[in-house]
Amino acid sequence: MNTAILGVYEDEELLISALRKIRDEKIEISEVFTPYPIHEVFEIMKRKTRLPYATFLFSALGAILTYLFLYWASVRSYPLIFGGKPLHSVPSFILISFVMMIFFGVLLSVIAFLIRSKLYPGKKVKIHDPRITDNVFVILIDKTPDMTSDQINLLNAIFKECGAVEILEK
Amino acid sequence: MYNTEIRGPLITGDKTLHQITEDICQPIDKKPRYWWYAVLFFCIVSLVYGAWALRITIGEGIGSWGLNNSVSWGWSIINFVWWIGIGHAGTAFSIFLLILEQKWRTSINRAAELMTVVAVICAVHFPILHIGRIWNGFYILPYPNDRGPLWLNFNSPLFWDVIAILTYLTASSLFWYVGMIPDLASIRDRTTSKIKKAIYGFFSLGWVGSSKDWFRFEKLGWVIGGLTAALVVSVHSIVALDFATSVLPGWHTTIFPPYFVVGAILSGFAMVLTLMIIIRKVYKFNDYITDSHLNAICKILVFISLIMGIAYSTEIFVAWYSDNEYEMFTFFHNRVTGDYNKAFWVMLISNAILPQLFWFKKIRKKLTIVFIISICINIGMWFERYVIVITSLTKDFFPSSWTDYKPTSVEIGLFAGTFGFFILCLLLFFKYLPMIAMHEVKGVLKYKLDK
Repeated sequence: MNTAILGVYEDEELLISALRKIRDEKIEISEVFTPYPIHEVFEIMKRKTRLPYATFLFSALGAILTYLFLYWASVRSYPLIFGGKPLHSVPSFILISFVMMIFFGVLLSVIAFLIRSKLYPGKKVKIHDPRITDNVFVILIDKTPDMTSDQINLLNAIFKECGAVEILEK
Repeated sequence: MYNTEIRGPLITGDKTLHQITEDICQPIDKKPRYWWYAVLFFCIVSLVYGAWALRITIGEGIGSWGLNNSVSWGWSIINFVWWIGIGHAGTAFSIFLLILEQKWRTSINRAAELMTVVAVICAVHFPILHIGRIWNGFYILPYPNDRGPLWLNFNSPLFWDVIAILTYLTASSLFWYVGMIPDLASIRDRTTSKIKKAIYGFFSLGWVGSSKDWFRFEKLGWVIGGLTAALVVSVHSIVALDFATSVLPGWHTTIFPPYFVVGAILSGFAMVLTLMIIIRKVYKFNDYITDSHLNAICKILVFISLIMGIAYSTEIFVAWYSDNEYEMFTFFHNRVTGDYNKAFWVMLISNAILPQLFWFKKIRKKLTIVFIISICINIGMWFERYVIVITSLTKDFFPSSWTDYKPTSVEIGLFAGTFGFFILCLLLFFKYLPMIAMHEVKGVLKYKLDK
């Protein structure tokens, strides 16, 4: 039983015109695979991410926790005056907090990205076409049970009309 | 904003997407040529020298260095600052241009980022080694201890250095690695060797190029880029504060942080230029690293070198204007005309004057001259640190404590070792990793005015 239809393209513009047509026919596009990021594809697929908010949160957390630690270590845990400087040395603490803000922001954002995209070393993946990471663009459409044969024919027609080099059913 | 009308095509030679993959992966598929082994041999020799110096430094202590009571900072801090400066290549180049949406960065950013990571690793060696007892190196981190607990001196720029450089190393290596994931997947999918498939497959983290992943990937690049861009400024400012918070003439100046940052960017860009000319020549990447790319870097160097010139003259002017006899002595009698005048003039000519030749289009087009000038800047930047560190320390307030400083073979060995390490990493990078960010180059292939 075939469960998915794949339209394989070799040109970015043809791919986008095909995507637009499929969207206008209200057929759900499961995923688009491309060798490089294409902004039109993101628009058509209505991609959204909360990653920047997460980064903001991580950075803020990093800065605040660092400042609190510095305050606790220098004022509470072991108050020791040296060089006549105040225990609570705001400029130094801000500087350290600033750097740690970047540290936490970057490190945790990358980890969040990897977790959210489920990327990890040694992951076994289903590669629809080994050329995706080279030069082809693939539109993947899952066949749902309520998909009529008319829709499938229409899909094939759109793929062909928009210059797909291959149409595969997997 | 620049557009391609000014810049010209970013990639020449009417490449197809497949050709880009083939061209960039070709060094990975082929056996390295004889020069690769020749340079590898040179690296191993330097590394052996470095290992010997390391053994002496750890086994006998830093007494084996040429330091004395007056000159307590010598080659190790010079080389540390120099490497950190070169380490600004990747971030300054790749990330600033990413944030400014300069599409021409795409052919160069990968190599520049690698340089950053390796140069920072080289730099880190020196502060760790200068501790003497490196097995106690963890003392520089704040950890709960049974001495009170007695914490670190959080007001010290030396501690700020530790966290700034750790952060910089983490951020720049993550930025480099994450940016490489799609390209590692490319190699995984095209290689026929089973071992390569397994290794590149492991490190490509299961990347398949879905729009969902690409979208997050791009956002992540922006987010890390935005955060790390601030590091470019902060890391070298903090390194400058190591000097500027002292009371030594020649160090005790407010100009130091911006002056160091600009110097770092100058040496970083110069090293990028050196490396790019080599890569372009050796691997025949003329279609990717075009004349227009090198031209643009040269123009940036003119600008940065002008700022350097202003910084140098400001220092000298302020020394004269302050009418402080110690400042006057350090700058006029010790640096400009004194015992260290050769180093001073090498620094001034190669950093502030030679790059001004890039005003001329004819010179920008002659790659041999560009290459020589880029090497001169690298040397000049080393002498800048030499002038700053050594002139101020050898002749301080007490003529009775004036002394001379010469590095011993151990210090030279440590520098040679880091140099060998740097080139070794570059060689491995040339052989095993995609030197040019393939997915980014593919993205700008059709970059037209209407986009």
